[in-house]
Amino acid sequence: MDPPSRCFHCGLPITPASAVRGQIAGGERHFCCHGCAAVCQAIHDAGLDGFYQRTPDGEVFGPPPQLPRQLEFYDLDEVQQEFGDISSDERELQLAVEGIHCAACVWLIENGLSAMPGVTDARVNLTGRRLRLRWDNGRLRLSRILRRLGELGYAAVPYDPGAAELGLQRRNRALLYRLAFAGFAAMNLMWISIALYAGADQGEFRTLFHWVGWLLATPTLLYAGGPFFAGAWRGLRQRHLDMDLPIAIGATITYAYSLVVTLTGQGDVYWDTLVNFLFVILLGRYLEAMSRRQAVSATQRLLDLQPRAATVLRDGEEALVPMRAVRPGDQLLIRPGERVPADGLVEQGSSAVDESLLTGESEPIMRGPGQPVVAGSLNGAGALRVRVTAVLRETQLGRILHLVEEAQASKAPIQSLADRVVPWFVGATLLLALATGLFWWRADAATAVLAATSVLIITCPCAFGLATPMAMAVAAGSAARHGILIKQGAALERLSSVTRVVFDKTGTLTRGQPRLVALMDARGLWRADETGEPLNASRQHWLTLAAALEQLSEHPLARALTAFAREQGLVDMNLTVADVRMEPGRGVVGRVDGQVLALGSAAWLQSLGIALHASLESPTDWPRATLLHLAVDGREVARLLLRDDLREDARAAVDALLAAGLQVSLLSGDRQTTASEIAKRLGGIEAIAEVLPEGKSAVIAGLRAAGQRVAMVGDGVNDAPALVRSDVGIALGSGTDVSMASADIVLTGNELVRVPQALALARRTLGIIRQNIGLSIAYNLVMVPLAMAALITPLVAAIAMPLSSLAVIGNSARIGRIPKLFKI
Amino acid sequence: MEVIYGLIPGMLLLGLAAVGVLFWAARSGQFDDLEGDGQRILLDDDIKPDDPRRFPGADVED
Repeated sequence: MDPPSRCFHCGLPITPASAVRGQIAGGERHFCCHGCAAVCQAIHDAGLDGFYQRTPDGEVFGPPPQLPRQLEFYDLDEVQQEFGDISSDERELQLAVEGIHCAACVWLIENGLSAMPGVTDARVNLTGRRLRLRWDNGRLRLSRILRRLGELGYAAVPYDPGAAELGLQRRNRALLYRLAFAGFAAMNLMWISIALYAGADQGEFRTLFHWVGWLLATPTLLYAGGPFFAGAWRGLRQRHLDMDLPIAIGATITYAYSLVVTLTGQGDVYWDTLVNFLFVILLGRYLEAMSRRQAVSATQRLLDLQPRAATVLRDGEEALVPMRAVRPGDQLLIRPGERVPADGLVEQGSSAVDESLLTGESEPIMRGPGQPVVAGSLNGAGALRVRVTAVLRETQLGRILHLVEEAQASKAPIQSLADRVVPWFVGATLLLALATGLFWWRADAATAVLAATSVLIITCPCAFGLATPMAMAVAAGSAARHGILIKQGAALERLSSVTRVVFDKTGTLTRGQPRLVALMDARGLWRADETGEPLNASRQHWLTLAAALEQLSEHPLARALTAFAREQGLVDMNLTVADVRMEPGRGVVGRVDGQVLALGSAAWLQSLGIALHASLESPTDWPRATLLHLAVDGREVARLLLRDDLREDARAAVDALLAAGLQVSLLSGDRQTTASEIAKRLGGIEAIAEVLPEGKSAVIAGLRAAGQRVAMVGDGVNDAPALVRSDVGIALGSGTDVSMASADIVLTGNELVRVPQALALARRTLGIIRQNIGLSIAYNLVMVPLAMAALITPLVAAIAMPLSSLAVIGNSARIGRIPKLFKI
Repeated sequence: MEVIYGLIPGMLLLGLAAVGVLFWAARSGQFDDLEGDGQRILLDDDIKPDDPRRFPGADVED
């Protein structure tokens, strides 16, 4: 029987190279990776095998997410008090959880945690991917619970209920209440209106119905209409006509007119028009708020998964403290693989440090005693003791963040299309109403007031007010399902008119991690990308040995080598590895299977007294690749080439953008030759190279000054200022939290092909918005002359208004399906 | 038709009561997790293999 082709735990396809077999529950099961196997084992050990019966068939979810490091950090009281009440041992927290996808996860988490002694209550919120946890801090540490969640395949961290998301939720809730009240009033007023149209306006109940209308309309105007009055007042104070003003004026005049009619008993009331109008506009606002919340809460979740702590050495004792408590002059311990939390000078130890987050330079840099390290860089294989010179805002990273904040503050608020038209629309409406009033004034005052009011009511900006938010809400919802998070609707509008897309190179167009691309030995050259040629036995043997030697190293090159060996199925666990000595920046030497292996730079091998194999081909057509020499028992046998490769979909994304008629550039800190080579492989796009990190935003500003509309795609801290500076900033979800916070759009799946897709969606959405505005203008062109001719009765107004709104809503729903990938 | 003088306020009061109930429900967090609560109702405890309630042949072990 063939082994199953899909992972038992996550349902992803299994590649033969990475397959893991596990004996679980007496049967053999196949997994795509060790992570899934470990999670499955943990689930079985907890007696929760029912999880697999509860997952929907064919449901695929990714391998378990990475746990944040330093979970003990969350045990500190001063940390927990940021998230909730810690006065007693009975504590309650809200956690943001990565990895929840269906009801089976809810069951697994709740049952898995409730079984822990000390957990009193665990309740998962599936919609918000959150967990409410109550536990007894005297019996159980929080980090223990978080680790247990990790074993079950979820990453969770506490999050702050007072954060932006909940503030937003409170505002949304207030909006929902207002919407509900307006809906209630609108429904009841319908009955009153029907009675009046059916003839009650001639009978004894006329006055009663008018007053009932007043009774319903008054609280609706004051309570549900509150935001519009506040907005109109704000707009007046800032000398800026926006949508709220005509809504407020129209509502007030309608109300005043109807009240006069009710008091004098002359004419028709417009209570129903008023209330329906408020209801429909509120509906538009609510939809807008919902779509925005969706995007914000998803990015918030991504940001919340980043811990903030440092290990401080005080009198030789290690202590984990929150970053805020670290002072310049403290001594920090930075373990291999940890992020450097503050700027400082190395006092002890040496290690290759990856500063790509700040500089975009993918090669790690050696740092030893007396040399500086910067916050945000990633420590390689060695432990470092660092004397802090600057913390938080004072660090280089903090200064970049400061730049970002400044750029954000100076960025003019985007005027959406509707916002630009609205002042004219409002002005025209007011003028027309005034003209109508003056014209009829000569006939008689009552007709004049009626006609002028009808103009104000019938030009109801309803359809206008709904045109943009409705389309944006549909677009944002559709985008979110495809891994595109739109943080603000207006970004979509700017994206539709972009003329140039600028990609950051390292980590965006490329993976940001080197891969093995070629191998040279006495028989010639083997290229990894030419899939046709299999590795022969001797090459397989060399690679197996090299991978065994490197398996303990954290260096990116070593990781690339072991990853390649795993892909090819060249992992031999039975090899004995001994006497391994790593020389940071040079190479590694050790005894594998009895043979002495050395792997490293040419100069280092020569210093060990190993002669280089003269006839081995030294490739010249691989710019910017790293060459490693492998020697066995003092003789060079092979050379390995490793390079940071393009993402698979980079070419497809660039092609689609070029096909859509956009200019595409690549922005990089690398040498011009390297950047040009990458640009050539992407179809000859423009390469802007040798740009210092702080120069990136200047490049974007320069492009914009030349009249281009620029979208920037990036992932690192050093891209953040450029993301803010561009017309539309697009960040990868795997990027740093800074870049995600600075961007307008986040691609959660890190797929570059989503960029042309977002563009297509943006163009389509804007088309729909234009149609919507056209519809509402057409409606106004028909109705306004009628109103000016004093031909509009309340009945006509009551029918025409909802119809115009419905047309807009129906039209917006057509966005629903995201356009095909390459059809732009 | 005088009954209308009583009916209309009655209708308004009932309507207001319904709105009040909605507010209360929203405030007490009933709309916080529409997906989860809808699914949770279907999640029951595992039935042990030796449980008499178990269907014969309902073996889902793979």
